[in-house]
Parts: sequence; C-alpha cells; structure tokens
Amino acid sequence: MPLGGVIFITIFIAVFGYILIRLARLTGGKAVKTSQAKFDIYECGIPVQEKKDTKISVKFYLTAILFILFDIEIIFMYPWAANFKNFLTSGNGPFVFGAMAFFLAVFIFGLWWEIKSKALEWD
Amino acid sequence: MTSMGTTGFEITVNLIKTVLVFLMMVQAVPILVWLERRGSAFIQNRFGPNRVGPLGLLQLLADAVKFLTKEDFAPEKGNRFMFYAAPVFALIPAAIAYMAIPMSVPLKLESATFLIQGFEINVGIVFVLGISSLAAYTILMAGWGSGSKFSLMGAMRASAQIISYELALGLSIVGVILMYGTFNFNEMILQQQGPLSFQAFGYTVSTVALPNWGIFYQPVGMILFFAATFAESNRLPFDLAEGEAELVAGFHTEYGGFKMLMFFIGEYGHMMIASGLMATFFFGGYGIPYVSIQDVQNFGMNLFGSEIAANVFNTVVHFLMYNLKFGLFLWIFIHVRWTLPRFRYDQLMDLGWKTMLPWALANTMVTATVMFVTSYFMF
Amino acid sequence: MTADAFLFWFLAALTIVSALSVVLMTNPIYSALSLAMTMVSVAAIFVTLQAYFLAGVQIIVYAGAVMVLFVMVLMLFDLKHELQAFTRGRFSGAFKIASIGSLAGLLVGAMYTANVLTVPEAASVANTTPKGAITPLAEELFLRNVFGFEALGVLLLVIAVGTVALSRSKGGTHARH
Repeated sequence: MPLGGVIFITIFIAVFGYILIRLARLTGGKAVKTSQAKFDIYECGIPVQEKKDTKISVKFYLTAILFILFDIEIIFMYPWAANFKNFLTSGNGPFVFGAMAFFLAVFIFGLWWEIKSKALEWD
Repeated sequence: MTSMGTTGFEITVNLIKTVLVFLMMVQAVPILVWLERRGSAFIQNRFGPNRVGPLGLLQLLADAVKFLTKEDFAPEKGNRFMFYAAPVFALIPAAIAYMAIPMSVPLKLESATFLIQGFEINVGIVFVLGISSLAAYTILMAGWGSGSKFSLMGAMRASAQIISYELALGLSIVGVILMYGTFNFNEMILQQQGPLSFQAFGYTVSTVALPNWGIFYQPVGMILFFAATFAESNRLPFDLAEGEAELVAGFHTEYGGFKMLMFFIGEYGHMMIASGLMATFFFGGYGIPYVSIQDVQNFGMNLFGSEIAANVFNTVVHFLMYNLKFGLFLWIFIHVRWTLPRFRYDQLMDLGWKTMLPWALANTMVTATVMFVTSYFMF
Repeated sequence: MTADAFLFWFLAALTIVSALSVVLMTNPIYSALSLAMTMVSVAAIFVTLQAYFLAGVQIIVYAGAVMVLFVMVLMLFDLKHELQAFTRGRFSGAFKIASIGSLAGLLVGAMYTANVLTVPEAASVANTTPKGAITPLAEELFLRNVFGFEALGVLLLVIAVGTVALSRSKGGTHARH
C-alpha cells in the first residue's frame, strides 16, 4: 500500500485548505466589529441564550454504543466473506458456513432484542 | 511496499497524480453545483441561474468572487481552532477515499506502468469505509467549534445518522465481497469483464446478452448500498443534519464564504465516492459492456499502429466510460434530492436500524447460502 | 536512511507525540481528538508491517466508531468545570508526569523481558504467503480459533443487552416508569 502517497496528499490537502482560508481572509478581510450582535452566535430573533443546560437525549449515546457493537460484528464478516470461495474449494465450506451461521444467529438475536426492547425507538 | 514507485520518475508522477485527482475533485464541485441548480430549476419548472454568461455558466465564477470577498467571520463564543480546522479537515477523508477508486486501465508506457487512480490499495473496500467514516469528526468539530446550540444539535443528529447508516452500508457490501472474494477494486472490475456467466450445481450458466456486472448478482445489495450512501453524504431525503425548519442549517449554521465552500466540497466528495463505488461494485467499473479491454487495445492498434498510442487510447476510452457511469450516478443523486421530501428523524432512524439492517443481513445470508448450496450439491 | 526507515520513524514520532498530547492537553476534547490521531497513526504503522486488513479495522473500529462516541459524549458536557480541575489541581502536573513515567517504564520493561522483536514464526508465514493476504487471518479465525470467534459474538450480545439495561435504569431520560 503506498502509504507515502497517502501521507503526502494528507499534508498537501491540509496546506491547501490552510492557504485557501488565509487567502479568503486576505481578499475579504477580517470581519469588522460594528456591533456585538454581529459576533453573537445565531439565534431566532431573540437575545442569545446560552447553551448551558442543553440536554441531549441519552438515545444518541445508546445509538453510538450499539453502532460500535454491531460494527465490530460486521467487521468480523469481512475476512470471512473475502475467503468464503477459498474455503468452499478447500473443503472447509460446511464448517465455516456453520460457524458464520451461528455468529449471524447471535447477531440477529441481538438485533431482534434491541428492536423488541424499544432501545431503538425515537420519539 | 510503502513507497509510490521505484524510480524517481515514477514517484514524482505518482505524487503529482494524487494532487491531480484531488484538484479534479475540487474543480468538479462548482460544475456539480451549477448542474444541481440548473437541474433543480428544470425539475421544479423554474429558470435557475441563467443571467451570468451562457446558460448561467459564469455563475460559478461570480460565486467564487463572492466567496473570496466575504468577510472572514468567526463567532466569539466558539472555539476558534476547531472552527477553522473543521472545514480543512472536511476535505481530507473525502479526497483520500476517492483516490483509492480505479478510474481506468493502467497506462503502460515504455519504462513504467501508471495506475489511473490516486493509489492502489490492497484492501480497497476496508480502506474507503475506514477513511470515509472519519468524516464524522468534521461534523462534530464544526458543531462544537461554533459554540451555538443549533450547530451542536445538528452535529449530534448528523453524526448519529452517519454512524447508523454506516452499519447498513458496511453490511450491504458483505454480499459483494462474498461474490468477488476480494477487497481489491481492480480485481473486482476484472471479474466483471465479459458476458454474464456463473457456475451452479456443477454447470456453467452463461449468456452473451448481459455483461457480467455485480448488479445482476446483488440487486438488493445495490439498492441498500445506494440508499445508505445518500445518508452518508447527508443528501436529501436524509439531510436531517440541516433540517431548516428545526435547526437553521445544522452543523454549519455559523459558517460562510470559503469555509462553507469547503464543507460543500466534502459533501460532494462523498457523493463522488459513492458514485465511484456504485460503478465499481455493481456496474463493471471502467469496463465497457460487450467489449473487452483487449478489444479496445486491438482497435487502437489498428487505428494508430503503435503500441504506446494504443495503450493511451485504451486508457482514455476506459476513462471516458468510467466517467459516463460516474456522472450518471451523480445525476441520480441530484435528481433524487429534488424529487423526494425529507424524512422525520424517527423515521430516518427506523429505516436505518429496523429496515435496512435486517434486509442487508438477509441479503448476506441468502448470498452465502446460495453460494454454499450451488457449489456443494451437483446434479 | 531509506524511505521505509524514514516513514517508520516519522510515524513512530507522530504516534508518540499524539499519545503524549492525549494526557498533556488540558481540554478533554483535544485529548479525545489526539487519541483518534494516535489510532490513525498506529493504523499507518500496521500498514508498514503489511497488515493492511488490520490497519483498516483499526481505523474503522477505533478511529471511526469508538473515538466518535468519546468525542460525541465529551462535546455534550459543559466542560468549564473539568477544565479547571485539570489545570488548577495541585497535583495535576506531577501526577501526569508520574503516570506517563510509570507507563513508559512498564512498556520498556515489558519489551525488554518479552523480547518481542524476534518472532521467527511470523516471519516465515509472511514469507510464504502473498503480502497483505487475509487468507491466513481468516483460517486462523474461522478454523483454528472458531470457539473464541463465537464466544466473541455472544460477548457482544451481552454488552448490547447490558447497555440497554443501563440506559433505562432509574434517573435516565428514558427510564422505564
């Protein structure tokens, strides 16, 4: 894998983006503070309200954690899928098929349980 | 091999190539924006930008001038570093992931062979999925760096949406990997050459009427994959991140000018990745249906009489074919945006977790079972 | 110095700098982002060892999933309090240096005693199979260590059930009434 190229282009894009932003500041100029309201964050026609007690639902964390778990399970399917043809020709097909069938059964049970327990309900 | 070639010439050409692919991506964005605005006007029976230049084409230039002359603004309450870093970071995952997609047959010159892609990655799919999943950071950085509650809520929704659909996306291509037995894009494209033919129960089934494309083996996977990529690139009908009615503009509420444009490049970059992957997985990549790579090479040989010219001809023809498919999917992205209404947030999450994930699972199981049964039982 | 050696030292330095900034940054969000950076550079080191699939998994799972969760959680708290606790604490500086020192000592000691740098078996496997092939990994995972693989599936299920149960225990916004 041409890692050198990946690192090179990453640095190139970072420098490119930095230069673009500097250029835009050069041509457009820095924002002039004509009033406090101009530098406030957006608000719909009322004085700015602090986000101090913005409450975000625990659902977001729950979704993220469940995502991690299912993501790991899906990642395990990748080497299996890429080698399934090899396993079929080498005679290990039934064993590997059975192994993944059990794994998938656990996966499906997990998904079914999450849906049934209403962990994925949004209201 | 961790380098980009063996000789200095090869390394230089390969590095310049990555820069070229990146610039190609960046300059495609204004064209897509123009296409999107004209296309939306066409779909909604309006005119769209038609005053600046022929067909409004110079509107792109006018927009660029406007971007350049805007004041550089950052809200006082936000975190300045994050606020400026987020748009720059938006470019990186999109560009690097796009570079792994092959765009044409390798160009053979006298001394060296050059791939028509940023870099050849051995485990292409895993690389593209991994790198494009880093895009979630852009959104979170922008949302938090702005210091505004609308931005933060938009970022939260967008990142939860992106990670939810990443599951369906990742699972929908397990069937594709099963079919081709490889992670490598080039190998996949070569397997899709020629007429449709497969082995089942010890027989070889073949027809010349259809090309050997992935869509004929994985239709459900194709639909799931394409739908999931809409959510990944935050496009309608999944653009909950910027639901104007509730969240002003989502995570980029506080942005304007060039910084906003960079988010745009990132979003269009993800569209381009999705279109490129669609072509590669399901529509034969740069392959031309009914015509093999060797046919094009022979035709070029007859036309020009020199091998190098034939190689260049071959590469250019396949590059055009790739761009035809690529452009078609980009147009579908634009068309869908102006056709479908937006989902509600709970509908969106339900669709991802309760509909697409089970369907992708079923697709995987059916694919594996069919492969297993057809190769183990002979009649 | 060859290109490969340069690349290795560059990545090693990047990993160490970003790992150090995880503990030395005062803002927890910068810490979390540095940790994500560490994950990505570790993945890049995997690539130099020709473990391509592992590098991809490192990015997908750690940088793309686990760290996104961390950053998401951190961004939702009003962090002014924690920032002060981190910067003004009487012991914080000495405590940080001591913890880095003990961790470094642990790592160096482990490397010294385990002699991990010579693994003849792995080298022979790497020489007989094509570079970056995932077939050996798949055979190891689905043929020889299949029990561990299935146990992991069950373990992930248990974690999922536990997470949901915790999220609806009393006091949460979604507690069962």
